[in-house]
Amino acid sequence: MRVMVIIKANKDIEAGQMPDEKILTEMGSFNEQLAEAGVLLGMEGLHPSAKGARVKFTGTKRTVTDGPFTESKELIAGYWIWRVKSMAEAIEWVKRCPNPTGQESEIEIRPIFEAEDFGPEFTPELRAQEERVIARAAELAQAEKA
Amino acid sequence: MRFMMLMIPKGYETAKPGTMPDPKAVAAMMKYNESLQKAGVLLALDGLHPPSMGARVSFSGGKPKVTDGPFAEAKEVLGGYWMIQVKSKAEAIEWASRCPGGDNEVIEIRQVQEFADFPADVQQAASGFAEMQAQSGQRKGS
Repeated sequence: MRVMVIIKANKDIEAGQMPDEKILTEMGSFNEQLAEAGVLLGMEGLHPSAKGARVKFTGTKRTVTDGPFTESKELIAGYWIWRVKSMAEAIEWVKRCPNPTGQESEIEIRPIFEAEDFGPEFTPELRAQEERVIARAAELAQAEKA
Repeated sequence: MRFMMLMIPKGYETAKPGTMPDPKAVAAMMKYNESLQKAGVLLALDGLHPPSMGARVSFSGGKPKVTDGPFAEAKEVLGGYWMIQVKSKAEAIEWASRCPGGDNEVIEIRQVQEFADFPADVQQAASGFAEMQAQSGQRKGS
C-alpha cells in the first residue's frame, strides 16, 4: 500500500521561517533511511499559504480567495509518499522521524486509494483511462526533472 | 513552476472507513484529469482514503504520540491532490476553476518549493535532496 505522510504547518513555517541546519541534517539522514529501505516514493515541501489561493465551488460559480489562510489549523507544510506493508509500518517510520519543526508538530498518515480498492464500478475502461493518465503524467514528470 | 491542487471535501473529516467516491463524480473527474494530461500540465495525482482509516503522530516534548483517525478536532481534511506544472499561479487557479467540484468542495493551490527557492545555506544543508527525489522514483503505481 502507499500512504501520504503529511507534515502540518505551524505559525513559524507559515511566516516563511526556514528549518535550521540541525533539523535539515536530521531530516536528511531520516530521508536516506527511507530511501535505503525502499519506502520513499516522493517528497515535496510547499511554500507558505500566503503564496497560495483557494477556489470554492458553488454550482457553476467559482470564488477565488488569496492566501494566507489564517483560520485553518490544518495547513500542510510538506509531504512524503511512502510504500509500506501496513499502517502500522507507516506509524513506526513516523515515530522515528525527527521532530520536523523542533516545536510541537504533527504528522498525518493517510492511505492512498489504489485501483484494487474500488469495486466493479471502477470499470476496465475507467481503469485503462486512469493508467493512461498516470503513465503520461509520470513521463512528463521525468521530462521535467531531466 | 509546480503547484499542488489540494482537494478539501467538506464532510470527509467524518467519513466512515471504506467510504468510496461516487462513480458519477469519478467519471467527471477522470475527464478533467484527462484534460490536465492532454494540456501537459499533470505531473501526479492521488486520492486519499478517509481520515478514519489514517492516523496522526504528534511530537510534544520529543515523544511521539499516536492518535487513530477520525480526528475529532479537524474541521477540514485532505481528500486528494494533483501536482501540476504551469507558468503562473494565475494559470493554476484557472485549472482549479475548471475542476468539476461539488458545493462541498474547496481546492487549495499551493506552490511547491523548488531547490532554487532556498537561500545558499539551506541549499548546502539540504544537498542531496534533489538526487534523493530523483532516485525515489515518484509515482509508481502498486
